[in-house]
Amino acid sequence: MAYNENILNKSIDPAVHQMLARAETLGLETVWDRYEKMLPECGFGELGVCCRNCNMGPCRISPFEDQGPQKGVCGATADIIVARNLIRMIAGGAAAHSDHGRDLAHTLLLTAQGKSGGYKIKDETKLMALAKEYGIDVNGRSKEDIALALAKNVYAEFGKQEGYVQFTRRAPDKRLAVWQKAGIDPRGIDREIVEIMHRTHIGVDNDPVNLILQGLKASIADGWGGSMIATEISDVLFGTPTPTRSTVNLGVIKADQVNIIVHGHEPVLSEMIMAASNDPDLVSRATAAGAAGINVTGMCCTGNELMMRHGIPIAGNFLQQELAVITGAVEAMIVDVQCIMPSLGDLCECFHTRFISTSPKAKFPGAVHMQFNEEKALEIAKSIVESAVDNFTNRNPAKVFIPDEKTDCMAGFSTEAILAALGGTLDPLLDAIKSGAVKGIAGVVGCNNPKIKHDHGHVALVRELVKNNVLVVTTGCNAIACAKAGLMVPEAANTAGDGLKGVCQSLGVPPVLHMGSCVDISRILTVCAAIANALDVDICDLPVAGAAPEWMSEKAVSIGAYVVSSGIFTVLGTVPPVLGSPLVTNILTHAANDVVGAAFAVETDPIKGAGLMIAHIEKKRQALGL
Amino acid sequence: MSQPKEIFVKTDRCMGCRSCIIACAVAHSESKTLFGAVAQSPGPKNRVYVEWVAPDKKVPIVCRQCEDAPCMYACISGAISRNEKGIVVTDPDKCIGCWTCVMVCPYGVIGRNLETRKAYRCDRCPDRDIPACVSACPTGALVYDTVPAYSGAVRKQVSQALSKAEGE
Amino acid sequence: MTADDSQYMIVGGCAAGMAAAHAIREHDRQGTVTVISEEPCAPYFRPLIPFVISGKNQWEQMALEGCGPYTGSNIFVRTHSRVASVNPAARSVFLQDGTCLGYQKILFATGSRPHMPPDIKGVDASGVFALRTLAHAKAMAQRVEQTRHAVMLGGGLLNLKTAFALLERHLKVTLVVYSPEVLSQLMAPEDALLIRKALENAGLTIKTGVSATGILSDSTGVTGVTLDDGSHLACQMVCIGKGVRPNVDYLENSGIALENGIVTDRYTACNLPDTFAAGDVAITHEPISGAPISTALWTNAVEMGRCAGQNMAGIKTAYTGTFGILNATQVADEPFVSMGVVHTENSDCQVFRQATKTTYRKMVFDADGTRLIGAVFVGDITNAGLYRYVIRERLPVSGFKQQIIDHTLNYGYFMR
Ligand SMILES: Cc1cc2nc3c(=O)[nH]c(=O)nc-3n(C[C@H](O)[C@H](O)[C@H](O)COP(=O)(O)OP(=O)(O)OC[C@H]3O[C@@H](n4cnc5c(N)ncnc54)[C@H](O)[C@@H]3O)c2cc1C
Ligand code: SF4
Repeated sequence: MAYNENILNKSIDPAVHQMLARAETLGLETVWDRYEKMLPECGFGELGVCCRNCNMGPCRISPFEDQGPQKGVCGATADIIVARNLIRMIAGGAAAHSDHGRDLAHTLLLTAQGKSGGYKIKDETKLMALAKEYGIDVNGRSKEDIALALAKNVYAEFGKQEGYVQFTRRAPDKRLAVWQKAGIDPRGIDREIVEIMHRTHIGVDNDPVNLILQGLKASIADGWGGSMIATEISDVLFGTPTPTRSTVNLGVIKADQVNIIVHGHEPVLSEMIMAASNDPDLVSRATAAGAAGINVTGMCCTGNELMMRHGIPIAGNFLQQELAVITGAVEAMIVDVQCIMPSLGDLCECFHTRFISTSPKAKFPGAVHMQFNEEKALEIAKSIVESAVDNFTNRNPAKVFIPDEKTDCMAGFSTEAILAALGGTLDPLLDAIKSGAVKGIAGVVGCNNPKIKHDHGHVALVRELVKNNVLVVTTGCNAIACAKAGLMVPEAANTAGDGLKGVCQSLGVPPVLHMGSCVDISRILTVCAAIANALDVDICDLPVAGAAPEWMSEKAVSIGAYVVSSGIFTVLGTVPPVLGSPLVTNILTHAANDVVGAAFAVETDPIKGAGLMIAHIEKKRQALGL
Repeated sequence: MSQPKEIFVKTDRCMGCRSCIIACAVAHSESKTLFGAVAQSPGPKNRVYVEWVAPDKKVPIVCRQCEDAPCMYACISGAISRNEKGIVVTDPDKCIGCWTCVMVCPYGVIGRNLETRKAYRCDRCPDRDIPACVSACPTGALVYDTVPAYSGAVRKQVSQALSKAEGE
Repeated sequence: MTADDSQYMIVGGCAAGMAAAHAIREHDRQGTVTVISEEPCAPYFRPLIPFVISGKNQWEQMALEGCGPYTGSNIFVRTHSRVASVNPAARSVFLQDGTCLGYQKILFATGSRPHMPPDIKGVDASGVFALRTLAHAKAMAQRVEQTRHAVMLGGGLLNLKTAFALLERHLKVTLVVYSPEVLSQLMAPEDALLIRKALENAGLTIKTGVSATGILSDSTGVTGVTLDDGSHLACQMVCIGKGVRPNVDYLENSGIALENGIVTDRYTACNLPDTFAAGDVAITHEPISGAPISTALWTNAVEMGRCAGQNMAGIKTAYTGTFGILNATQVADEPFVSMGVVHTENSDCQVFRQATKTTYRKMVFDADGTRLIGAVFVGDITNAGLYRYVIRERLPVSGFKQQIIDHTLNYGYFMR
């Protein structure tokens, strides 16, 4: 079928084209429509020069020197306002990731105390390794006992006032020295976030450089703290991912089954929903209702978590959440936290779909709230699944429209899994990098954003990298985009340059490795640290680069900040709201090099973005004498 | 000073912040205050529009008070006339909401009040010295001046920029 | 010079005639301007007469003089005077009562009258109307008193407006439409679906695909209508809206060229010296194809009348022509605009349609897709005037075609 330009320009994904045409026929509004209605977006906001931090304002600085105010009422210049706004975004993102980590620590604590309803300690090896990292005495203690000690230690990271966050010590010594010199070695996760809120209050920190340094500090507490805790504790509770096969895209929704989509971020909920969906009573209840079974699929990062560990299919990435509802075949859209569009409420009302919120932190208009808690996890999960099953008979077959698009993929490349694939040591990878077969490694991550043709930023950039023998590791919505584009099967090695192709073929892995959800960018940091240590250099010396081609969230700002703070050059595919301050722009894109050995670049064209990354990798290879 | 003033648009100045839209709605509200205006029901109507031109231009558009105002001649009920100040006005008592004026205005600046089924438009803020949208624009994208003064200012600016460039 | 020997004579005192009179006044403050009108009352806004039926407005509120742009002074209007013939060679006109008047320049702006299809029998009965004048409207308003059910023959805009006026008087109203859908002159049947729904929701009964064969009456006037499907509708009022015909009978044998209307050149002039024509009575041209057309549009009557007035006052001005279809209105809660080429069946035009629950639009481009030639908007008529501009100026659309299709074009695209 031919679609109009308007639809074709919105995404590269044929499933999206079909669903947008469907939405048009049904007269349903999607994120793209709302984006178009928002145009033009406010230029002051785009430039980051509006401030609402006190009630003498709101203030905004005119970007034209000859016209309009050049200072806020308090005297803040564009530089100050932009820096304050930027690090408040970091605070938001770091808070989101870290609170996710805190929830995992909480679940581990309850599980260790025998109080959680249905969770177990799945990966004892990792438990022991982490205990060792924390200096916990493991001799002669039960795993519950050890887990309890670990949970308490990890929990304490959030409220810590002094010292350091343990996982930051995974970074190479050279990197630690950089952080210490710049004064950005975080003392505790919550503390750094709170300090951002304090410093950006009216009349506190008004030095753009000092402000940004605090932003970097909080971001490190996210990447090497909150996010890393989320990853590691999830592995302890649910198992460390190993390579597994699955499928992605809206075609994974099944016309003849009860379809449950778990959407959001924390595996604490989705793991239990998955378990409940296998309950024989519920399955027979579904059959009795005329369904062929219960089909749980994921959306966004909670989908990544399930796919990494269990091969559960993913229905789509961020911009596809509304489209999943529009298939008319979803009995329940179950959500926890982060990246869930409040528009789902209205949309679900147009179908039989039950929109079920579960987190006390995240309620939505039009959603039924079925509050989840870890102590009665399985019980609550069952009642949620039951409500989905019971909704099956309300489905209107005339409204069902499921696109036939789905793609096979291979996921589950945790750091441990990559090591295993390499035969237990990094050496084969290091050799390939030294020989030039693999030029370098790129971490490509981040959201979707209607400002960029959906998935085009992701896929075009990744293809270009792979073609140029850059191994890509990915998480989040980029991972889902690459999986849909068929880049995550071993056969995709054919799209790689000769060197990378050979390496992938000999290892039987895809050229694009799915490392998990957005908190799992911490896995990428761990890999980089391990490589740097193996080569006895700093991370900023490695032939690696990062990119967030379609980023939109505050979490992405925090990610970008900790990736750059970790010494990795990062290309942003959408323009961050900082251009109102030439000073801040310069710090981010140039001066940061002098402080943390890396900086940002902004490039909205994905091919050119890949070009910048490749050039950077080449430069680092040269410096290393490769 | 007999020359009438007009609203000019400097398209390269618009930030798309819609301050003009808010100010216009407030100026046409009962209370004439922002907080009163947002509480008013049905809400006051703005008569200036900020349009988006792909890929990234933002353009405020406001009634031009056309010399040969097509709306005035098209109106099938005699609701549109030019007042003594030269401003084209729509008389809501006469308007029947047939939208013929909307059909002939190339700028798209005639609004439709669906509650009252009356057309409405920019009235150049008769109670104010400077129209509300012009005062509200934080970057000077809207200019209220006479034709000769405005084009004179533009010429001066250009020649200043030129001599500055030459001096460098 | 006396009023009997006028410098500028205008026959017909409505849109075209009065617009011309005012245009003349803008350029010539001295010359005598005489408007001769058959109607007994002063010039008025003809499209407002349905409000006399509904009772919303008194006719005094519809007078043209002093409203909108019609504020010129020293225009002499001679009402209740029908021109019976014209002698262009002698530059004189004869009124029905035998009066002879001289002139130097003359404008024919006699408009049109309702077409009465000859195949419907019994149209002379009382209670049968074809609404055109204030007198008709007043008579209808009176007839409403003894009417419970009114049947409208024809599904055009005039009948819809009249129907709504009658609904406001709480009558039962049935619309009998021979075409497959209402408003068939202004849009294709599939374009009119939302409007049809709105009409029915507003309480109108609509029968399509049937036509009336006869009107039944007795001493009380109309009693019913027979239809060609054999059925019969009892009613006390019938309103015929089957299009209009130009008022040209007084020009028979005058030497003025007629072809279903008065033939005009690009400067609104007729074939004989110092004779001009404008409005419904004139043949003008379509701006895209240049084809000759006659219209029944207020907007055209005023524009062409103004142009004719300028030409008469010695300012040579070309008329840009008009689309045959250029209509905006709102029926029930459904606003719509229809303009340019909108009937596209069996044509090779590029057509883009977009329908949602509450809106419909159709954008018609020429065969090679480089120019917009017509558009229909229902529900959302935002920026309709800009599309009219694009059509009329025949702008190449290559830079903003998608915006046209998506209905997101705005004037910003034409500003530097
Ligand atoms: C109810 C109604 C609603 C309408 N709504 C719309 C609308 O929404 N939009 C739109 O564009 N158009 C509308 N029209 C059409 C519009 O009114 C006409 O197109 C317009 O009035 C034409 O103007 P005119 O001056 O050419 O002719 P007319 O208005 O017909 O005026 C001609 C005048 O000349 C007089 N006359 C005729 N012959 C002689 C003679 N021999 N001697 C002296 N006088 C003579 C007539 O009595 C009449 O007064 C509507 C019409 C009606 C009836
Ligand atoms: S909408 Fe009102 S002002 Fe506009 S043409 Fe119709 S009657 Fe006149």
